[in-house]
Amino acid sequence: MRRGEVVLRDATRSFSVRADPARTLKGLLLGKRAPGPAPVPALRGVTLRIEPGQTVGMVGRNGAGKTSTLRVLAGIVPLQSGEVACGGRVLALLELAAGFSRDFSGRENVFLQGALYGLSKREVNDRLEQIIDFAELGEFIDIPVKTYSSGMFVRLGFAIAAHLDADVLLIDEVLAVGDESFQRKCMRRIAEQIAAGATVVLVSHDPGAIERVCERVVVLDAGRVVFDGPTAEGLLHYHQLMGTVQGGGRSYRHVHRGAAGVTDVELRDAAGRASSVFRSGEELRLAVEVRAPVRDRAELTLELRAGEGVTLFRTSTPFEPGPDGRAELLFEVPELWLLGGDYDLLLGVAPGGEEPVFDRTVRFSVPSGPGAQGLLDLRGSWRSLTAARSGAQ
Amino acid sequence: MARYRYLFSQLVRRELRRKYKGSRFGVLWYLINPLVLLGVYTLMFGYVFKLQSIPDFPIFLMVGLVVWSFFAQSLMAAADSLIEQGGLVRKARFPRQAIPASTVAVQLVTMVAMLVLLVPLAVALRGTLVPALLLLPVLVGLLFCFVLGCALIVAVLHAYFRDVGPILAAALLPWFFLTPIFFEPGSIGYVHRHELVGTLLQWVNPIAPFVQAIRSVVYDGGGPGWGRLLYAALAAGAALALGSFVFRRMESELAVVV
Repeated sequence: MRRGEVVLRDATRSFSVRADPARTLKGLLLGKRAPGPAPVPALRGVTLRIEPGQTVGMVGRNGAGKTSTLRVLAGIVPLQSGEVACGGRVLALLELAAGFSRDFSGRENVFLQGALYGLSKREVNDRLEQIIDFAELGEFIDIPVKTYSSGMFVRLGFAIAAHLDADVLLIDEVLAVGDESFQRKCMRRIAEQIAAGATVVLVSHDPGAIERVCERVVVLDAGRVVFDGPTAEGLLHYHQLMGTVQGGGRSYRHVHRGAAGVTDVELRDAAGRASSVFRSGEELRLAVEVRAPVRDRAELTLELRAGEGVTLFRTSTPFEPGPDGRAELLFEVPELWLLGGDYDLLLGVAPGGEEPVFDRTVRFSVPSGPGAQGLLDLRGSWRSLTAARSGAQ
Repeated sequence: MARYRYLFSQLVRRELRRKYKGSRFGVLWYLINPLVLLGVYTLMFGYVFKLQSIPDFPIFLMVGLVVWSFFAQSLMAAADSLIEQGGLVRKARFPRQAIPASTVAVQLVTMVAMLVLLVPLAVALRGTLVPALLLLPVLVGLLFCFVLGCALIVAVLHAYFRDVGPILAAALLPWFFLTPIFFEPGSIGYVHRHELVGTLLQWVNPIAPFVQAIRSVVYDGGGPGWGRLLYAALAAGAALALGSFVFRRMESELAVVV
């Protein structure tokens, strides 16, 4: 087994979902258990081979088996059948806020948690300053952690785990916590670990984070691997699985027959295929099916928002419903000059002149490329004027 | 395993200070509680209901109580330990034996502290400054191994079967009165007439030989006898072997059940 290699072969594992997971002696002695739900399979034959230094994103619905896979890889939960092996020091960033002693100071907890991951006193001491610095706790480090906010717990938990130099780093949803600047710092720290040659398995519901960090994506569904391959393709697969590609995104309200509203939405790429990932500069088409009472003048409004909810663009168009009260509209963007991130398109129908109620939202993501940062690519270019002036003199 | 020595010392520190952190007397409570207990038992059984005429009864009683408290408190604390530290068990992979072992180590610290108070008192009052006293650390070491082995079994069983703790608590009460703490089995008339009872009291109860061996060294100022020494060594070895075996067989699902 090489350092940093991860192998999972035909892994199966199920969990009891009973209220009393621990058995009682009475049940054992009587040789029977009270009736209850059957165990729920979490992994049903997962096979995975990760080469040292690879970065793999793991996506899937809630309950697809992502966290179970990490717990199995970390050796915390055993398999019922199959094989698991990881080379070198494996570190799982699971339940970051767990395992703190509430009455002890942050500093004392750093020592305990470091020891938990198998460090010696000297090894913890060597990293202590960096950890405290990274966690941004300042003087709070010497105060009992019971006074900490949940964000502080997680910051300290991440800071400890991120300074342990693992060969295999298993990360579960930790990037969803802390404020934005801390999230960026975590991503940088993970990138450093990757640069140092660590194998990384990242579980996340954030396609943007996966896109930025991972070269390979594994999509799990109901305890099985349904896709394993390059990131862009994997995320597309994920979006299809989550129903965010076809069938028009999330509906805010049910549109009654006869009432005005959006009935279907689809995002398409240049070739007319349904898609939810668009590269900067690619064509994007939005097909919308709307309904409105016949003879009424109605208006469709489209709004583009960045992931944080900032409105980037808004447009409206009047439409004439056909005799069945329906209309189909297409919005074409020949070149989508958005930069890496997640975006939402909101759609709503209202009688002419009134403020629309958005009934639908479709999310798409744009992979980050090198170079420009921000939301929009202004397509500008730099030119030096000094050279031209000196030439004129 | 050596890698986790530091974890063990951290767990012991945490366990020692956790319970009474923020209280005025801090770790002193670990001594105050058993001292109060000792005082009450000495008063009640030594003076109020005087059972046997044993010279310097308080010393006699204290030796037995110190050994018993270590045994009983360790097992009770170990039973809950894995569940209480569930956060650690679910978080990382480390030798989980460290958790019950740290609770036993904390109780050992208490017992040693009590012995440090008690032994000079016994030496002064009973004149037991004899070479056999050198055996005391050996006996304490064997007792620790014995209790550690039992604690490993109790801890891992209780994590799976939550009845183990209550059963243990119920069993320890009669067990306490059957252990030669208040009495010396050899000097009870009834025991002389029924040899079987004497054997049961002194040899079947596995904690009895430890109590009697330590008492013979501290209180009587004599050797514990080869029989008791051998018994203690065998019991310690067997308990430790069985405890590690059972723990290793059952620990795999701990992160799921605690």
